[in-house]
Order: sequence, then C-alpha cells, then structure tokens
Amino acid sequence: MRTLSLYQEGNSIIHKIDPITKIIFVLITILIPIIMGTLNSAFAFLLISLTLVIIAGVIKKVLPIVGFTSIILVTVIIIQGLYYFNNRTPFFAIGTVVFYKEGLLYALEIILRIYSIINSVSLLMFTTKPSDLVEALVKKGLSPRIGYVFSSVLQIIPQMMSTVDTIIDAQRSRGMEVEGSFSRRIRAFIPLIGPAVISSLIDTKERAMALEVRAFNSRYKKTFLNEGTTFKYADVMQVSLISILIISIVLRFVH
Amino acid sequence: MGKRSMWSFKFTTASLVLIPTAVGINYIGKFFASLLKLPLWLDSIGTMLSSMMAGPIVGAISGAINNIIYGLTADPISLVYAITSVAIGLTVGILAYIGWFKSWSMAVVSGLVVGLIAAIVSTPLNVIFWGGQTGNIWGDSVFAFLSAREIPIWIASFADEIIVDVPDKIATVLISYGIYKGLPRQLTSIYRNDDEIKEL
Repeated sequence: MRTLSLYQEGNSIIHKIDPITKIIFVLITILIPIIMGTLNSAFAFLLISLTLVIIAGVIKKVLPIVGFTSIILVTVIIIQGLYYFNNRTPFFAIGTVVFYKEGLLYALEIILRIYSIINSVSLLMFTTKPSDLVEALVKKGLSPRIGYVFSSVLQIIPQMMSTVDTIIDAQRSRGMEVEGSFSRRIRAFIPLIGPAVISSLIDTKERAMALEVRAFNSRYKKTFLNEGTTFKYADVMQVSLISILIISIVLRFVH
Repeated sequence: MGKRSMWSFKFTTASLVLIPTAVGINYIGKFFASLLKLPLWLDSIGTMLSSMMAGPIVGAISGAINNIIYGLTADPISLVYAITSVAIGLTVGILAYIGWFKSWSMAVVSGLVVGLIAAIVSTPLNVIFWGGQTGNIWGDSVFAFLSAREIPIWIASFADEIIVDVPDKIATVLISYGIYKGLPRQLTSIYRNDDEIKEL
C-alpha cells in the first residue's frame, strides 16, 4: 500500500538510532537557540544537525526544502537589514538604501535557527520509517488509538489523492474550467472539494465499522507485532540531550 | 435527556477515524487551492469540518496532527504552527456548539473571529521564528511598511498576519459551512452530542 513518507533506506549510524532519541534532538534544536537567544548557539546547532544530515547521507534530499525556505529568508534579510528597530550602525549601502549591522545580524540569527530546524526535522523524517516512529511512541505510552490515527493519515492521503484525480477528470469532462479569471477559478473550488469531502466521509463510516468488528475498542493490553531492535545507547543519549536542555535553561537564567 | 457538554466526549471509533480524514481534507483543500492558483491557503477545511461535526476536542486533535504530519512530510517549520491549528479547531468547535453557524452572515462573522484568534496565536510564533514576517508577499509588504515607520514589531507582525489570515479563514469557514450544511444526516448523526440517537 502506498504511504506518504520521505523515509530513505540507509545503513548509516543515524538510521540505527531510535526514533525517540531523534524526536528529543528535534525538540532541543528548536528550543535551545530560542532559550539562549545567541548567535553562537544557533550556529552550533546548525553545524551539529548539518553534520548529522551529511553522515546520514540525506543531504541531497534536504536541499530542496532549504531552497524553498530560502526565498522567504531573503526577504527577512532585506526587511530586517533595512528596518530592524535596533538599527544604529550602517553596514553597507546600495545607492541611497542603507543596510544596518544590527538588522543583518538579527536576520542571520533567524536564518541559522530556521536552517537548523529544517536539518534536524529532516534528519528525523528521512532516516526513520513512519511505522517505527509511531510504534516507538506507542511503546513509550502514547495511546494506541492516537498511534492508529497517525499511521492512518499517512495511508489515507495517497488514497484520497487518487480519488481527487478521478474527481478532477470527471468535472473536467463536464466542462469545468480550472483556468481563467479569478472568479471562474474560485467557482471551480466547490465542485472539486465537495465530492472529495463527501466520498472521504462515507469511507470514514465504513472504516469505523471495519475497526469495530476487529475489536479496536478492546480494553486488553495491546501487544506488538514487531519486537523491534532496541538501540544500545538510547538511554545515555536521551539523558545527555535532556541534560543539555536543562543546562541551557539554567545558563539563561543565571546570566 | 439534556444536551451533553461540548467538552465531554468519548473517543468513539467514529470520531477517531474522522481525524485522519480531516487531515486528508486539509491536504486536498491546499492542493486544490494551489491547482486553481487561488491566493488563499484553504488548508484547514478538514479541521473546521471535524470541529463542526464532532466538537472542539476532535477538531483540535485534527489540527495538531495535521501540522505534525505536514511538518514531517513536507515543511518542517509548519510543526511549530500546530498551536495555531489547535486554536482554530477549538474556536470553530466552540462557535458551532453555541450555535453561531446558523446562517451565512453568521458564518462570515465566525470566520472573522477564527481569523483573529489564528492571528493572535500565530503572531508570537512569527516573531520568534521569522522576526515577525509571514512569508506572504502582501502581508510582508505591510510589515516592511510599518517597520519602516518604527511601529513596534508586535503590531507590525500582527497586521502582517491579519492581512493573510482573516480573508483565508473567512473563505475556509464559508466553504466548510457550505459543505457541512450539505452533508446527509446519515453522516453527521453519528457525531452528534445530544445523547442517544433513536433509529427506526
């Protein structure tokens, strides 16, 4: 069955690390640069996550995501460089337009943070099989029903997208136009989304019944199909990652 | 038997399977919006529909899972906006419960409220992660304009977000309300809050 996933097969050490450790890593790469609020911490985390992405061998896959975000980041450089409220020291000028040092540094901090988030999340999504991720979370105590919801989303989206293709074809054959003036395009939205929603909701009802007859609501403790290999250093890594987070919070309040 | 509170909810199988479908509908909405090159996101139709059908909690969970999945499969930054999606799910669910979705004009007002709340929740995130910008060209032009006049960043960023969010949320609420109204009773009745449903 087709599922929505960016997982890349691989044998790197990063692929072997357990999903929970990677999730904790993602959380600290988002939180620490914000807690510390320094250029150095943002830069350090970008370097670490970039190195890990290279080790995992998925750098080529990450580049398009980086490229997509870079367009917005260019506007961040321009706007902050020109108008950041702390702007004092002129840095360079193009004609009469002056870019300021403070704003550019602030833009740099934003860029470093965004790139490090992209790298660390990419690390998680390119090196972890979604089913392993969900299973690890359920083993950690996430409700198996929520676990079902997650894995089900990944299967439902490709399924719904193939329904969407059928709907587009059907409506086109009835003469619906998807190009042209704004009002024509907005009017085309309803005949497209309507059938897609109704058919997916009808499927929902059937899916609920199918789950019910398979004792989805049973209160017995769930067991796992895959025992799964446990990563040897998971505990050590998780404890050290969380200590780094605590240390950074303490440092922030001491200073 | 009275109406049950909107917060009391049993995780029935029906409401549980509604969540992935809601996320899928969000995805399709976004897909059609870009197919038709509409200047709106329209990526929370599913969240809103699930809120209208099954209440604020199911809506909020749909919103959160939507952004987590989108963050893990397409755009990592959308992970942090899960908070906004939760707020949208809660707001629509509450408004639906107190009966704001009675007419098209009330739906417009509801859309305005949802848009404002979404903007209030998103603004701190925009400031923390993007220095106040939204990435939308119109909104960011306003942000640059206001920043150049030394308007405080929070206000400039809020204005930036409102320009983007309010029209999008009004449109999304109207579309969701239109679909909801057209749904057969057979589909909506399984989620209804007012106690046991008698079938003949």
